Order: sequence, then structure tokens, then C-alpha cells
Amino acid sequence: MAELILKTLTKTYIQAQPPAVDQLNLAVRDGEFTALLGPSGCGKSTTLRMIAGLESVTAGEIRVGGKLVNELHPKDRGVGLAFENYALYPPLKVRDNLAFNLRAHGLGVKEINRRVDEIARTLQIQELLDLKPVALSSGQKQRVNMARAMIRRPSVLLLDEPLSHLDARLRVELRTEIKRLHAEQRFTTIIVTHDQLEAMALADRIAVMNEGKLQQFDTPLEVFNHPANEFVAGFLGEPPMNIFRTVVDSGRLVIPGAEFALPITPSMQKLIGSRKESKFGVRPWGIRVSQTATAGSVAGKVTVVEDLGDETRVGVRYGDILIMSSIPVTRRYRPGLPVYLNFNEEDLNLFDPTTGERLSDSSNPLRSVADETRNKDKIQAQVTR
Amino acid sequence: MASILLSGLTKFYGKRRGVEDVTLEVGDQEFLTVFGPAGAGKTTTLNLIAGIVTPDRGSVRFGDRTVDALEPADRNVAMVFESYALYPQFTVYENMAFPLKSPKHRLPAAEVEQRVRHFATMLKIDHLLNRPIQALSNGQRQRTALGRALVRRPDVFLMDEPLSHLDAKLRHSMRAELKEMRGQLGTTTIYVTHDYLEAMSLGDRVAVINHGQILQVGKPEEVYFHPATVEVAQLFGDPEINIVDAKLRNRQATSVRVQALGEEWSLPITADISSALDRVTGDTVCLGFRPADVVVGGNGNSNLRGVVYSFEPLGTKSVLTIDSVAGQRVRALVDGHRSFDVDRRIEFGVPASSLIFFDPESTRYLVRSARTEGDD
Repeated sequence: MAELILKTLTKTYIQAQPPAVDQLNLAVRDGEFTALLGPSGCGKSTTLRMIAGLESVTAGEIRVGGKLVNELHPKDRGVGLAFENYALYPPLKVRDNLAFNLRAHGLGVKEINRRVDEIARTLQIQELLDLKPVALSSGQKQRVNMARAMIRRPSVLLLDEPLSHLDARLRVELRTEIKRLHAEQRFTTIIVTHDQLEAMALADRIAVMNEGKLQQFDTPLEVFNHPANEFVAGFLGEPPMNIFRTVVDSGRLVIPGAEFALPITPSMQKLIGSRKESKFGVRPWGIRVSQTATAGSVAGKVTVVEDLGDETRVGVRYGDILIMSSIPVTRRYRPGLPVYLNFNEEDLNLFDPTTGERLSDSSNPLRSVADETRNKDKIQAQVTR
Repeated sequence: MASILLSGLTKFYGKRRGVEDVTLEVGDQEFLTVFGPAGAGKTTTLNLIAGIVTPDRGSVRFGDRTVDALEPADRNVAMVFESYALYPQFTVYENMAFPLKSPKHRLPAAEVEQRVRHFATMLKIDHLLNRPIQALSNGQRQRTALGRALVRRPDVFLMDEPLSHLDAKLRHSMRAELKEMRGQLGTTTIYVTHDYLEAMSLGDRVAVINHGQILQVGKPEEVYFHPATVEVAQLFGDPEINIVDAKLRNRQATSVRVQALGEEWSLPITADISSALDRVTGDTVCLGFRPADVVVGGNGNSNLRGVVYSFEPLGTKSVLTIDSVAGQRVRALVDGHRSFDVDRRIEFGVPASSLIFFDPESTRYLVRSARTEGDD
């Protein structure tokens, strides 16, 4: 396995149009699991195809284990691409499915057998070698599928939406299986997905992309808790983050034309600076609902309650804005009831109203540096484990 | 306005069962969700009510009139589909007013305008009335489709997965908004969905259907906390409920020894549980417990042991997959701030109050302890 470096990687299909992938810089560490996450058309699949050699590079570099592979044939790049489940050949035994590519490359029978046994041991599928795909469980199929991509000893394993066409139950099962496999093997892996839960669950770090550009590259929790901009904030999380426009009005953030006024605390003031307005973001779990007013709480009236078994969601409307909170199961709140919303300060996200960038405390850069160091250590620990 | 009564509705497509013996009563102005996986018979049920499909057996009543002999157009039902079926070159206003201009429902112009504006305001699309459909977002199109069905003031409202092809985020907010305005609809509604969150959120009651048959009808909390069968339990919740086999021994008036997941422990039982257990032949039961109810970490209640198979953070929560001592896999939903290394040994437990007992033969619901609510 090896590290993978993308340096100002760019793909332009039509000169006059914005690039499909725009100066992408990404350093994937040896053994790391990275997710390329974004909506359709964000450039994630194009990026994967460029790495695999299925798509030419307009500008920039792709380095696998330090070696520039831009001009190499796909089979010489040291990358293995795993397709979906059903790409296994049904009439062939698992053993022959694995050997198929090696035979095509003219390897000798002895060497092929040796490699099949070796990869089967690694992925713990020895007892499956003489079965046909139809006899395998979904988890076993996933292992065989990975084994087939890995048998040619790629330096980097590429997974292209491996779960997206499966039903929900199977998807959850296979997600667990892939995560487990990676924990066992620590092969350098890149997965392309549009499913934020999949990216969060699997990846050591997530590269969020939009319109060909990298938005943020960080650990799942960091991307989730400290999104770099409004796009990232809105793309990750289900139910979605409440994001709405507020204006600064005599020391408070207010929703224009509605009865929402949140006192601006000193630390919020530092972020807002001289701005006249700010996008306000808070996840449904970052709001406490109560029936008594406290300092800094915002009064409102419940307009919708959803009882969802493990949680209750309470909605309070301020003009066009419906703020949804997620709280432990309760029957206390019903539509029409006056309530107070309390916003945990550490769960608040403020974004620049024009650029959408997260407002950060420039006078206190220590915090973000500390975060960065901590994340690095954490990934290093995982990799070397 | 009308109540709806379906009696013994049966429809086969050749040998394939569409639905069989569907009997269901929907109260006047009730909002009933029909929930099940793909191919369960949900859409067939709707089409039978609308009159688009003719049943092999059974009948449909609206209020006190039987509608079996009526054409779809004469049943006064309005349908909303997953595909909006709007006229793309027409404006929002023209689309919404369209049903009121058909020969059957023709209304005076002033009345048309009043109705369209009323429902456009309710759906928050009143500022879009002059826009062509092409210029709208998916969420706005869905609102327009709802509006077009609403203006007719039908006796019965039938909705077939109206939110299912919106993206996940939009689905959450549209669902909440639909629920918010539900009270203003005042029309008997049957809403078909394969999304358990929609079924639970929107329905006064939920009818769970699979393989063409109704498995359970009840309030959302009934189907979630007291599922009629193991299958129903598995259809609600993500990740899926854990189902394990358990051996019961040495049953006393207030406790029983439970052997499951490679451990044995004493479980306090109530009179309800005791009498339910009397109905089981043999000494085994199925126990169901939801991932969110699993308590991970040594805090006294942790009588089970296992090894972490996989750990998947999802933001606020994380999914922890545990290989129990017995080898059977258990899923737990834990707080997003906690972190677990693969292969680490851990202790976990399941509170007695979150155990659901099922008959191992029939897989039917037996009993569960009285539930205590979080902060009430």
C-alpha cells in the first residue's frame, strides 16, 4: 500500500465551461480511508476515474507512492478498482473469479494459485473459494469483490459507489463489513459516494466536493461539527442543519419580520465583527426546548411535533423559517404550546452572508491549530495500529 | 368528507398476489399512513380505493355509500403521485386551477381564484403563482402538485409516496411542513410510503402492509413499541432492531433466568409478562431490542460481554457492531462523542424495559414491560 497525492488536479471537458475538477489538492496517507463526498456533478467520480486512468488529466499530478502516474496505463498504476457486487461472474467459482484477471495478464498457474490462496487468507474467504457467487451472503460477496480488486496487489484501492444500488438493509450490513475489512487490513482506500452517512461511517477523512472544487478535507466529526462553509454544513447531517439568514439588530441576531431575537454573546460578537448580517446554523440536536425562559433563550410557539420512536422532533415557526429540534422522546410538547429555545453556544455555526464561509475567531487561532494536531495524531494512531 | 371502509379487498395479478383480504377502516378526517417495503401492495391498495384497479373480491365504502360501481372520476378522490404530473409550460396558478376547469368540477372564476390563493398561501407558494413549472425547484413542484389536489376539496385524499424522490434533506423539511399544515387539510387522507419516519410522523395511525397483507394497524407508538410481529419490528428503525433467541429458566413470580447471547442473568418480570409467557410452549422466546436502547460500558446494568466488530460514526450518533460471546452480532447506537476501537472487549446491557418478547414459533408479539419516557 502507498500514499496517494493529487496536486492541482484539473479536468476540463469543454474549454469555455468551468472545469469538472478544479485544482484539487489531496494527500491521502498510507493506509488511510478517504471518502470523496458530494452531490452529483461535483467532480468526485471524474476524480476517481482520473486516478484509475480511465479519464485523461487536463492538468496537475497524480502520484501513487511518490511515482507520477498521469501517463501510465490503468493496469500499470498500481490501483485496483472494485465494482459492485453483481460484477462477479455467476458461473465461475470464487477461486476462478479471483484468478480471472491474473490469467488475462498471463501469470503462470503456480503463481496464480499462490496469490489466490494468499488473498483468500488475508480476507478470510478460504472456505468460500470453491463456492459460486450465488451461494454467498452479501457480506461474503463484498469480501470476494474486494479480494478481486486487491489480488493484483494495488497500492491504492478505489471504490466507486459500491453500496448505492443496494436496499437499505443490505447497505447498512455491507457498510459495516467494509469498515471492518479496512480496520483489519488498513489498505489505502478511496471511496466515491453521495451518501453522507456512508462517508461518515467509513472514512478516516472526508473530502467534500462541490462544483469541481474541494470544500473541506478533514475527519468526519470535524467536518460534521465544524463545517468550513454553508455548503458543507447543509450537505452533511440528517435531519439537516437549520440554516437561515439573520441580521444584527441592537446586540441581537434577528430573523427579519419574525419574533426571533437571540442576544449576541461576546464570543459570537468576535466572530460577527462589523458584519450587519450572518447566516445562522444549528443542528436539530444543538437546540434545547423548555417551557421556562432562561438567559438567552428565544420564545416561540410549537407548530409541529414528530414522534419518531427513539426521538421527538419539535418545530417552531418564525415567519418563513421552521426551526426543527431533536430531543429525547417526550409527550410534553404539542402544537400551540409556548416554548423557549436554548441554543448551545458550542453548537452554533455562523457563516458569512455573501461567501458562505464559516466565521472563525481570528484572534484565537490556537484552537483550530490544536484541533488540527489532535486529528493528525488520531489518524496516525489508527494507521500504525 | 368521509370515512373509508375497505372490506376484504383482494386483487391478484395472474398468480401474483397484489393484495389479499385487506380490511381497514379510516375515520372521517383521519390521516392514515400505509407503510411497507417495495412490492408490499401499498399502491395496489390506493388504486383499488381510487377505482383505477378493480378488485377480485371485496368492497370500498366512503361514508355510507358503496363506491364499487363508480368510475374513478365519480368517486371524488384526489391523488398525488411521486411524479408530480404537472404541465411544465403552465404556471403554478394554471396548474392548480386546472381541475376546477374540467367539465365535472367547473366553478365560477371568482371561486376558482379564491380557492387557488387560499391553498397557495397555505402551501407557501403564493409568491410563485405566475411562474412556470419549469422554473421551480423540486420542493416547489411538490407543493404545486399538492395544491392542485387540494383545490378540488375531495372527499378523500390519496397520496402515493409524494416525497420519495426529493433528496433526503428536503424530504425531512417537507415532511415536517406537511405535518404542520395537516390540521388545516381536514380531509380524510391515505398516505402511502416506504419510509418509516414518514409513516410515524404523519400518520394518526399506521397500517403496516407486506406481501399484500395488513400486518398491523395502530398508532405510531403502538407499532413502534408494540410491533405485532418480528417482521413489523424489523421494518421500523435504522439500524434494524436486534432479535435474539433466549432460553427462559427457573421462572418465579417476579423474575426469570434468561440465557441469551452467551450469558445468563436474572430478569425482573411483571404479571403481564408472566401471563404472556404462560402462552408460550417450550422454554424459548425471541427477544427484540432496538440499537438505541443498548447501553454500552460498565455501569452496573452491563451483564453482557462482547468484542467490537465495527465502529461507524454518523455524527450525532455512532453505530457500534458487537460480536457477543455467543458469536451473534448486536448493533448499538451510541453517543457521537464516544469512540471505540475494533476488537476491543466491551460490556453492554439491555434495560429490561426495552425488551420486546416474541413467540419463537409464530414470531408474533407477546409482551413488553411498561415503557418509561425519558424526561416526562
